[in-house]
Amino acid sequence: MSETHDHSHDHDHPTHTHDGKPIQEDPLPSLEAQILEASVRELLIEKGVISSDDVRRAIDQVESRTPALGAKIVARAWDDPAFKETLMSDSDEALMAFGIDMRPTELCVVENTDDVHNMVVCTLCSCYPRPVLGIPPAWYKRRDYRSRAVREPRAILREFGTDIPEQKQVRVHDSNADLRYLVLPQRPDGTEGWDQEKLARLVTRDAMIGVSDVLEPADIDD
Amino acid sequence: MRGPQDYGGMPAGPVDPEKHEHVPTHWEKTVDAMMMLLFDQRRRLARVDESRRMQEALGDDYHKYPYYERWLQAISWLMLEKGVYSQEELEAKKAEVRARLEAGSHGS
Amino acid sequence: MDPKFQPGDSVQVLHRDQPGHVRTPMYVRGKLGVIERIVGSFPNPELLAVGHSGLPYKMLYRVNFKQGELWEDYDGAPDDTLEIEIYEHWLAPV
Repeated sequence: MSETHDHSHDHDHPTHTHDGKPIQEDPLPSLEAQILEASVRELLIEKGVISSDDVRRAIDQVESRTPALGAKIVARAWDDPAFKETLMSDSDEALMAFGIDMRPTELCVVENTDDVHNMVVCTLCSCYPRPVLGIPPAWYKRRDYRSRAVREPRAILREFGTDIPEQKQVRVHDSNADLRYLVLPQRPDGTEGWDQEKLARLVTRDAMIGVSDVLEPADIDD
Repeated sequence: MRGPQDYGGMPAGPVDPEKHEHVPTHWEKTVDAMMMLLFDQRRRLARVDESRRMQEALGDDYHKYPYYERWLQAISWLMLEKGVYSQEELEAKKAEVRARLEAGSHGS
Repeated sequence: MDPKFQPGDSVQVLHRDQPGHVRTPMYVRGKLGVIERIVGSFPNPELLAVGHSGLPYKMLYRVNFKQGELWEDYDGAPDDTLEIEIYEHWLAPV
């Protein structure tokens, strides 16, 4: 089917032309998708599989998961060496302190150092540490990032404005199975004596995916 | 035999971190919530792996679906496959919802 | 279940065609890597995908690859690596 023709009657919202050029993603669902969503939801409710209360509560849960959780975890790991050790060796145990349950997956924390920069992708779908970061960003789920992050990670990093020196290893993690990855960025200089709450403000979602650095101390207000 | 989902290393365009980003809509969160409920430990009505199989079965259409519309389609096919509802029930429900939406009412 | 491989072991990802849902992307099939860690045993996703229980469980490893092994034209730095999770039945000793 040619994507240059108008197929407005069905669910075609092509995100790419055939030569791989991206078209901006439209977050508004087609009428057909709206109809299908309402139909599936109402049938599941009529069949007693789920209730509308269940759906409301689940949406609340989706909304409660944000990168602020991940930032708190990173800030605590920066500030508390014993916590960091647990986080790296037994993340389930460390996450219990935050009331976070990753099951049936496991969180794998990968640490940036002077020698290694970590970056996360899921080439096969969109695996992402949702309990600590929430819904993945749209670019993470798109063909462009999923295709190129494994083959030309440094080019992707540059598109995010992140330049990694040649002598530093870039280590890509393809999140393809039962682990979910969280990058533990390096604590910036000039943050000595900061409390965890202030440290957490430096930690962006993109830094925990590994496509950006954390903010600089000068970037945040006191 | 490379599945349509197997993007690793394939040619693709640039990533525009600003343009390729939007705040998840209520509609997207609703689909997300339904997935969570169907896959949860208590219901176990389906596994995420089954949903991925259904998405991969889209073949070339895989690339055309917006993300949450793809998941939604997969869920619906899975519910049909598992006999949670029948094709006839789904078609009847869709006709009812379509009439409601086109009449501009918000009865759901 | 005893793991067949230990961290540091050299392995090759099997280069086979398999219909159905699999979690081994094409770009690592046939490639040489090194076991980074044993993750543990998990339900087999190839069976979960068709509604089975996933038994018998499969041992899962993280495997580290040199980017230059994966892509002939890799133009990053020579030490750049990639890590991915591979189930035991997709790995052969080298």
